[in-house]
Amino acid sequence: METRVEGGAIFTCETCSLSTPFTYFGQKPPNTRAIVLLEESYVLKDPFSPDREKFIVLGSSCTVCSKVVCVGTECSLFYTRRFCLPCVRENLDQFPQQIQVELAKKKAPLHT
Amino acid sequence: MASEKRDERWDWDSPRCRAQLDEIFFRQHDYIQTGSQDHRDFWAFFERFQRFKARKELSGSKDNKNEDPNSSKSRKSGSLDLGLPKEYDARYRINISVNTKDVEDKMQGCGHRQRQTSSGPGKQEITDCRLALLHFLDFCQRQGFNKLAKLRQEQRSLPIFVYRDRIVELVKANPVVVVAGDTGCGKSTQVPQYLLASGFNYIACTQPRRIACISLAKRVSFESLNQYGSKVGYQIRFETTRTLATKLLFLTEGLLLRQIQKDSLLDQYQVLIVDEVHERHLHCDFLLGVLRALISSRSDLRLVLMSATINIKLFSEYFRGAPVLQVPGRLFPIQVIYQPIPPEEQVSRLEKLDPRPYLRVLQGIDQRYLPEERGDVLLFLSGVAEISTVLEACQAYATHTQRWIVLALHSTLSLAQQDKVFDISPTGVRKCIISTNIAETSVTIDGVRFVVDSGKVKEMSFDPKAKMQRLQEFWISRASSEQRKGRAGRTGPGVCYRLYAESDYDAFAPYPVPEIHRVALDSLVLQMKSMDLGDPCSFSFIDPPSASSIQTALTYLRDQGALDASGELTTIGRLLASLPVDVVIGKMLVLGSLFNLVEPVLTVAAALTVQSPFLRSAQHNPDCATARQPLHSNQGDPFTLLNTFNAWVQVKGERGGGSRKWCRRRGLEEQRLYEMVNLRRQFKELLKSHGLLEEQGTGVVTPEERKRRRERLTERHQLHQIKREHDLQEGSRRKVLRLEEGTEDTSGSDDETSGKKGKDKKADGQSVDIQEVKFKLRHNVDQLQEVASASQDLPSRQQALLKLVLCRGLYPQLSLPDEHNATRKDSEQIFHTRNKQGVVIHPTSVFASDPEVLHVPDQEGSQPGADKGQSSRHQLLAFVTLLETNKPYVSNCVRVPALQALLLVANCLDSNGNCTRLVADGWLELCLSDGERTLGVISSALELRAEWERLLQAQLSKHRPSGRDLERLSDRLVRFLLYTEVNYSVRRLTGLQAQNLYVGPQRDPDPSDALALRSVFRGVEPKPDPIKGGLRVSSYFTYNCLSDPTDLYSECLRTFWTCPFCALYMPFTPLERMQHQAACKPPEEIAAQEAEAECESEKAVKPSSSSLTRLYHCDICNKDLTLTSTEILKHKRQHTVAS
Repeated sequence: METRVEGGAIFTCETCSLSTPFTYFGQKPPNTRAIVLLEESYVLKDPFSPDREKFIVLGSSCTVCSKVVCVGTECSLFYTRRFCLPCVRENLDQFPQQIQVELAKKKAPLHT
Repeated sequence: MASEKRDERWDWDSPRCRAQLDEIFFRQHDYIQTGSQDHRDFWAFFERFQRFKARKELSGSKDNKNEDPNSSKSRKSGSLDLGLPKEYDARYRINISVNTKDVEDKMQGCGHRQRQTSSGPGKQEITDCRLALLHFLDFCQRQGFNKLAKLRQEQRSLPIFVYRDRIVELVKANPVVVVAGDTGCGKSTQVPQYLLASGFNYIACTQPRRIACISLAKRVSFESLNQYGSKVGYQIRFETTRTLATKLLFLTEGLLLRQIQKDSLLDQYQVLIVDEVHERHLHCDFLLGVLRALISSRSDLRLVLMSATINIKLFSEYFRGAPVLQVPGRLFPIQVIYQPIPPEEQVSRLEKLDPRPYLRVLQGIDQRYLPEERGDVLLFLSGVAEISTVLEACQAYATHTQRWIVLALHSTLSLAQQDKVFDISPTGVRKCIISTNIAETSVTIDGVRFVVDSGKVKEMSFDPKAKMQRLQEFWISRASSEQRKGRAGRTGPGVCYRLYAESDYDAFAPYPVPEIHRVALDSLVLQMKSMDLGDPCSFSFIDPPSASSIQTALTYLRDQGALDASGELTTIGRLLASLPVDVVIGKMLVLGSLFNLVEPVLTVAAALTVQSPFLRSAQHNPDCATARQPLHSNQGDPFTLLNTFNAWVQVKGERGGGSRKWCRRRGLEEQRLYEMVNLRRQFKELLKSHGLLEEQGTGVVTPEERKRRRERLTERHQLHQIKREHDLQEGSRRKVLRLEEGTEDTSGSDDETSGKKGKDKKADGQSVDIQEVKFKLRHNVDQLQEVASASQDLPSRQQALLKLVLCRGLYPQLSLPDEHNATRKDSEQIFHTRNKQGVVIHPTSVFASDPEVLHVPDQEGSQPGADKGQSSRHQLLAFVTLLETNKPYVSNCVRVPALQALLLVANCLDSNGNCTRLVADGWLELCLSDGERTLGVISSALELRAEWERLLQAQLSKHRPSGRDLERLSDRLVRFLLYTEVNYSVRRLTGLQAQNLYVGPQRDPDPSDALALRSVFRGVEPKPDPIKGGLRVSSYFTYNCLSDPTDLYSECLRTFWTCPFCALYMPFTPLERMQHQAACKPPEEIAAQEAEAECESEKAVKPSSSSLTRLYHCDICNKDLTLTSTEILKHKRQHTVAS
């Protein structure tokens, strides 16, 4: 599945409800030559760069629960594939310790 | 072992090695290209990454050991097996891969063939580099996403965000919606975006200030992720970023009005947002009136008014009960402290302000708050003089405590100085910004925690009786007071010190006086006329101006010739309405386009429209004064401005960016010169578009020209590149102020102290002068230089003509030097205008420092036999503005010869019977010693004016008059201006004298007068004037209507006189003498006239052979007769007797 999206299509994260238009969905954003994405992603032409080929990956679907999530660290992480944080927590024991430690740390700043 | 060997040869820091990797990863069409900023960033990142890896490897083995038991832990039973790799690798966190296999293979192959011994990148290097690249890309992704997420978060946290859907619904359902919200609610940035996102296209959003258009367009295009597109744009006087793709446009109120002038239905827009309606600017009030009428004829148009939460009902009711959406602002709590100034520290209007109450506030802050608690002070005063008084005292305190940096903020400061208020103070030091009301709305400074409010404002008002602007100090309104207070709570809780009592506050007016009640309405009324809005008095303004104010404007426009007697637009009036300048400036431009004076007039018109480039603060600096001296012209301020502009253009041509320094040495604000050059160009285009200027012919292009164009193209390309790079870097960090920063300002000079000069020079060298770049992009310096040098050092004839053009443009803004000025001190020179006595010249004018040039030369005034005050050298001062502050001041003045100027421009000239007395416009009386010569002068003036008018009308109706006709007219005008030698005295009539000026209607005026006048003034038909009496010779000249006791005799008083040509010796009145002379001309003059007449037209009547006779057509006997003038008289009398 790969689409170049015309204006108007909106990406919305199902976790944090971040919402913004996207310009492409797939693994091979236009004009990027050697670059390939390892997941089917919602992609936006980088609005902060004048170069037309620069892009920002907004998010993708969690490979466990299929929820559409943004790439923000509060919503998902990528470890060989995309996981939304609830799914990571659910299966935390399967993730390497680095990620477990990271997630444990994350809880603290949430409450401040 | 092998890899060790390779390591010896491979050097990551070597440019050659890096270049080899660039070949693989950063080729021309790759995501990151060699030479780009990203490419530089990558290598910097690479170094950090390598160091990080090295550190990691040192401690790495330990980590792995710890991890091993973890990974072998069995997973919880029952849950899904995710099949994740057991060994952690940061690489697995990256969702990007870079596929360069094809290139690598090729490279490997090539490397082996070409350089056996050389060190191409091995597998390991490529892997290292790829890994670094992946991490770099991931890092960039994170950065980009975070920026986006932060932006969205900020938008969502704005108070207006929750009303988003409501706003869209309201706008969809109602033609007019009022959105009211206070500072910080986000309405200006968000509402246009909400509408845009909901599918509205072609949205225009007006702003009262140009600067707001630019900054809002920038902000909104960033927020709507359209920074590099043109979906969001702005349009202001000189600049636009609008394209066909633009869906949301920020523009000034004035500009939208101009668009309505051209496109009365505004079909180009679907939604109009009028922001800051509560500020009640003249243009905004007018715009609302126009839009109110417009929505009834365009049901699809949507109008959104945005306002602070003051007086909302007014706007809603004006639009027939439009729905109001009120949004809370986002202000932190502000504590209000009333600290009225004790009576002993209050001063009268003329005294210097006592700074002690203000100092006490600063002291109080020092006592109550720790220096570590940040928070700056914003102090509101009424005017520049008050600011410098308080500034001085505060600076002394600052030097003493070392805890303050004191800065002034007002519009006459240089832009660089204004900009300083945004810089940050070092820790432990507070900024104290002493400002006019400019910081109330126009300028927003972050970090202010304390507001000190004097409660005073200086506001412009207009005195229609004296036709004078007045700058007076007033108490502010409660709305302004609240607005000032609000400035303390933008970034955190604040304190507002009010230096007046709470009872004063309660007595303040609720709102400021709208501009429409304070200013001259000339331009507004002219614009209304050109938009066919009917009678300006019956237009339904939201808050109509007084009828007398409109009447004053109508009268003024009639005096200016923009409206005819019935109040309809004249040809020139229609043209003036389409020029975005004051009527007087517009007139100059039109008049200048007629003669060969376009270039200097364009410059002068532009210079008089922008703020003066001469910085007030530099006036007392002796170095600046000396450097400015060569620019001064004692002809008048417009000439000084012209010289300055021309000199600047020369410097620009020779030294480019060096002009910055040149300006600094002279105390000039270069920004104003840039504005002038832009405005000048706009004027030129306007004149061209109205057919007043010929388009430059696209003749044959010479090879040199082609080469030059090519060079220019290349240069433009480079300049665009620089501008783009500059735009990218914009918004860089604010500078940190130094403690001594403020104190340098006390010297009142813009010249930097020596210590700072070095620093600045460095900064100059590094930073791009973006103004210079924009200037070069917009203008052809060579062409500018050409026209500048053409209007530099104008020959005196051209100068005289230019002065006349300026004077006719500025008319009736004329003033007369007081007759006793020669005996007064320089500082006490006074002048009189028609409606205001005793005005003085503004100290910035050249005539303030050089008033002698306005005095009547001594030797002429005291000529033996001449009456007191008689001279041929009297002058008048035409001026651009009359403004009363502590005194009534005229500024931007130009001096003109009095008699000639009045004869050529005055709307109303009256004479007595023997032309020894002339009154211009009912207030200036000229007493002339030689009536007969005067009559001659009047006669030529009448002819010149008729010809001038004829050519001007031709020009306006787009039949450009012939160059020869124009040449001859300008030649004759110049001769008239320079070589008219008549002695006269001039004075201002007293009120009583002005009232009893005329003889009034006469029952039977002497018919011979009319006859005689007809022969003196060729081609006129004098008629008795029904009001003034006497004979009306032209629309502006009435003969013999002045009542004067001495006239009763002089009219019939004949003196013996011998004609120098025919030797006739007879008693004559001056008129008869003139009449005789008109017919009896010396043979050579007749010959010259003949030749001229032949040139002018073939049909011209040839004078008869006798030099004394002329062709006369008698209407009564219907015959063409050849008679001398005396014979004509006799012939006419025959008929009268017979009847």
